[in-house]
Amino acid sequence: MAMPEIDEAWTVSLLARTLKRRVEDDGAPIWVRGEIAGVKRYASGHCYFSLRDDLARVDCTMWRSSVARLRVPLEEGSVVYALGHASVWEERTALRFNVTQVLPASAVGPAAQEAERVKQLLLRDGLLDPARKRPVPEYATRIAVITSVAGAAVRDIITVAARRWPGVELFVINSAVQGTTAAAELVAALDLLCHLEAIDCCIIGRGGGSKEDLVAFNDEMVCRAIAACSIPVISAVGHEIDVTLADLVADLRAATPSQAAEFALPDRRDVEVRLDRARRRLVSVTATLLRARSERVERTRDRMASALVERVRRAERRLLAAGGKLAPALARRVVLPREHVARIESRLAPAMRRRLASFDAGCRTHAASLDALSPLAVLGRGYAVARDADGRVLRRSDQFAPGIHFTLTVSDGTVAARTEDPHV
Amino acid sequence: MSDSPTLGDDLKRLEDIVRRLEDEDLGLESALELFEEGVSRLRSAQARLADAETRVTQVLKDSSDGGTIRLVPLDE
Repeated sequence: MAMPEIDEAWTVSLLARTLKRRVEDDGAPIWVRGEIAGVKRYASGHCYFSLRDDLARVDCTMWRSSVARLRVPLEEGSVVYALGHASVWEERTALRFNVTQVLPASAVGPAAQEAERVKQLLLRDGLLDPARKRPVPEYATRIAVITSVAGAAVRDIITVAARRWPGVELFVINSAVQGTTAAAELVAALDLLCHLEAIDCCIIGRGGGSKEDLVAFNDEMVCRAIAACSIPVISAVGHEIDVTLADLVADLRAATPSQAAEFALPDRRDVEVRLDRARRRLVSVTATLLRARSERVERTRDRMASALVERVRRAERRLLAAGGKLAPALARRVVLPREHVARIESRLAPAMRRRLASFDAGCRTHAASLDALSPLAVLGRGYAVARDADGRVLRRSDQFAPGIHFTLTVSDGTVAARTEDPHV
Repeated sequence: MSDSPTLGDDLKRLEDIVRRLEDEDLGLESALELFEEGVSRLRSAQARLADAETRVTQVLKDSSDGGTIRLVPLDE
């Protein structure tokens, strides 16, 4: 065959147009028998699906007017006779079979028939019972991923994990996800799980695929292996429309591998918000508690001191009174308690001081850690907080009526204050 | 796998501490102990978030070797 001249090169559109003419010129409609797969119905009313047999498949379009005339809805897996004509979509140079009429064949496609048989078995054994479904751990740290290492699914999962929850460890178990060995490889991969320690959950799946590529996920042994798994399993078969039996038997179904990673992992931003909220509550509740306690200690100290002084004075008065009346012998007996009280006082006071001093030191340590975290540190820089008699913080000038008394909390205590003229 | 608490453990414990401080009438000593634990949990959680890195390992089974499991870094 002669080599064509390079300056006679076709444009892509010429190639597309030529193919279109050759395919469409005949024009006569034909009947095609095949199994329906991947039905997509659009809001526009148009329908897209594939027809397949064991060796080939063709993308089909069915416009709204034809869809409206359908007597039986297009059903996944059903074998039909479709009337239409082949055409080429120039933009993609893609062949389409434009269907105008569909008649259901009496038989059902073998793949769908097998899936139905397996589904009945799984139902009978209770493996599709919603009560079996286990929750996925909230903060997973080790996740197993069963998919093809060559596929897009594993990359999608790694990307989502790195974004949401960088601390996670992913354990990828490679398995074919389509083709004749896929089911056996998936089962073997699920078996491997039990050799890994402390795995929180498992994602099993693949990126998008047409229905005929999903047979491994309808396989009975694969479904039973998922059901037998000791950890929660998230299915991610990457097909929005088709629900596989693996999806039904898994603890959680994700529409895509990325979504599975989102289900399996918390979002670090949410966690940061929670941490921050916990930090603020921790600081404020502890500060409140410390303030209340230190006020109570001060009140107790004052009360104890005056009670002590009062007791000593009473003893002294009694001694004086007694001293005048009693015989010296008796007086000695009274002197003894006086010395006793003095002794007690001399021991009690230092002991009390020591306890208060150590308490104060404790308070200061904790207050220092509080300061490091809290807005209290702001006071140290010269700011003051104004509070009214009830302890409410005064924030606006209109809260300062002329002549009201309020307190100013500064870094080392409070000062009493009074408004001279609020409108300076 | 270490036995040290995970970030999830830290976060849950921290929130539990805050709840106890808010809801329970605790003695000063126990309250301050809880506060200190809360601060350390908070720091540990923040540190974990800050320097976390995703590790991806491939799990291989040697068919020649009676099925020994090997863990190797996944080539991307």
